Amino acid sequence: MIEVRDVFKTFKLSRQQKREMGSGFQGDSVDAVAGLTFTCQPGRVFSLVGANGAGKTTTLRMIATMLRPTAGTIAVNHHDTVREPERVRASLGFLTGSTQLYDRLTASELVRYVADLHGVPRDQFARRRDEIFGALDMGGFADRRIGKLSTGMKQKVSIARTLIHDPGVLVLDEATAALDVVASRAIVDLIRRARDNGKTVLFSTHRLSEVNLLSDDLALIHRGQLLFNGTYQEFSSQMQAPTLEDEFIRRVEAAGV
Amino acid sequence: MRTIVTVFRKELIDILRDRRTIMFMIVLPLLLFPLLFRVMFSVERSQADKARSKKLRVACLSDGNAARFVAMLGDRGDVEIVTGLSRDQATALVRADSLDGLFVVAPDFDDAVAEMKPGRIDFYFKSTDDRTIVQDRLRETIDSFEREILDERFVRLEMDPSIVDAVALEDHNVASMEERVGKSVGGMLPYMFIIFCFVGAMYPAIDLGAGEKERGTMETLLTAPVNRFHILLGKFGVVVLSGLVSATVSIIGLYIAIRASSEIPPEFMNIIVKILGWKTILLVLSLLLPLTVFLAGILLSISFTARSFREAQSLITPLNIAIIVPAAIGLIPGVEMSYATALVPVLNVSLATREIIAGTMRPDYLAVVYLSLITLAFVSLFVSAQWFRRESTIFRS
Repeated sequence: MIEVRDVFKTFKLSRQQKREMGSGFQGDSVDAVAGLTFTCQPGRVFSLVGANGAGKTTTLRMIATMLRPTAGTIAVNHHDTVREPERVRASLGFLTGSTQLYDRLTASELVRYVADLHGVPRDQFARRRDEIFGALDMGGFADRRIGKLSTGMKQKVSIARTLIHDPGVLVLDEATAALDVVASRAIVDLIRRARDNGKTVLFSTHRLSEVNLLSDDLALIHRGQLLFNGTYQEFSSQMQAPTLEDEFIRRVEAAGV
Repeated sequence: MRTIVTVFRKELIDILRDRRTIMFMIVLPLLLFPLLFRVMFSVERSQADKARSKKLRVACLSDGNAARFVAMLGDRGDVEIVTGLSRDQATALVRADSLDGLFVVAPDFDDAVAEMKPGRIDFYFKSTDDRTIVQDRLRETIDSFEREILDERFVRLEMDPSIVDAVALEDHNVASMEERVGKSVGGMLPYMFIIFCFVGAMYPAIDLGAGEKERGTMETLLTAPVNRFHILLGKFGVVVLSGLVSATVSIIGLYIAIRASSEIPPEFMNIIVKILGWKTILLVLSLLLPLTVFLAGILLSISFTARSFREAQSLITPLNIAIIVPAAIGLIPGVEMSYATALVPVLNVSLATREIIAGTMRPDYLAVVYLSLITLAFVSLFVSAQWFRRESTIFRS
């Protein structure tokens, strides 16, 4: 379970960043996230939807303890992200579209490395690795260096390293953003399997087709603020525009933020 | 401890598979000295052979004076006397390297010699290192000529030639050969070790910080349930090890270069081999260890701050000067180990290594050097740990 309560994240700007914001910008900081509150339940898929720069990555990084909230609290499986960051990370599998792999390691070495960092015992590791490598059909390239693998193969390695410690919570940040349809399918399958296994799944995307395909619950954010939070069913029943895209734009414009 | 070992092992495998790191950490320091020695000695030998065997072209403007000297020059089979030149022309030819030497005998030379006064001969030459042999060859004739005149004077005056030696001075330098070699060669060695230590640590530091950020692999580490300080220590270990390996390999390279060189006289070779003993090397490495930790802290802090490998390189390049300058100051004659210099990082290692090699290191100075380096190492580690924890550093983009 992920519980986000009234979370803010403010970034102080450097001189260069202020210059880049343009002459119209006033102040020394920006609120990347402003008062977000939502809950992701086990056995359900929660979609965090928003345009680029909406605050999705910042929110997910705070959940994964990489960033500290400026205000508010976040708990993962009842562990506070600020007070118990290591416990949070132990129960979390984090996968992003931008995270790359160590090209000079083999797929097996990388997965072993992540397992060691998570303190997975050797016998459990061997069993989990065989299970995951078998399910993802990775046997043919497990001992090849990652730099020599195709994008699809790399994505499978990414999934394997995310799952090797059997996390109860999966956080996926734009995980399909740079992938083609075939490679994206592996991620979609991962999300479905995780939900079926009772895990909490939170994924961010700006591809609304995936929201339609996977979501049980949904939060729509824009400029760090929540525009909608509820079940996908509630969202679709309240739709005033013909498509998801149109409804998304309508809500953003109506909010006027 | 488990995390530190895990990160250390992974980072070590990673950098050992990087050709650029291997090049700077092992190949360059191993081959530099043997190649340098080979090139240096072969160039020097070929220049010396050329200077020894070439036929010397010399002009001698004497106006009939010092006829015996002119004849002695002419009798030498390896000298060609060029005639028909004015003083200005001959000087210009010496300057242009067309003549190896010009002798101008004073008009009153013969009269002066007859009166048992010094006769003046001006010797013009253009001096560069390899021409010293040429000058020596020409001076031989002048020396022979002078000896002949002196012998004649002693006979004429019925004097014993030894009368001109009023004091029979015998030098007895109590400094051992190790001390003398240590003070001279020992100044250069730490300079090389420190540079290699820095260069060897530099690429892994850039790769493990900015490189990891640029490649987008940092999140894998940051989302693991481990203490960030332990991650840092694992990375630190690899950077320090790389610096030390690089410095050690440079010592091995130097040892190979010396052993393989046929140009070094055996007695000098024995002293160098004695100097490069295990005890000395271990003592020097024990100084390099805290220095490398200190450097690793600075390098990693810069590397974590940089957005890309290239930016880290450009930020670290000026640091080269900050390393080279104090290391080079240690080479300046007169700069000696003291309580003040023992506190200055890099310079203290440079001076201490010189003293260790010469066998003249004072324990109190050595203690101050260790104290200074270990303190700085801890400060550097602390600063880089703080830096690694900062969100604005790790997610700077």
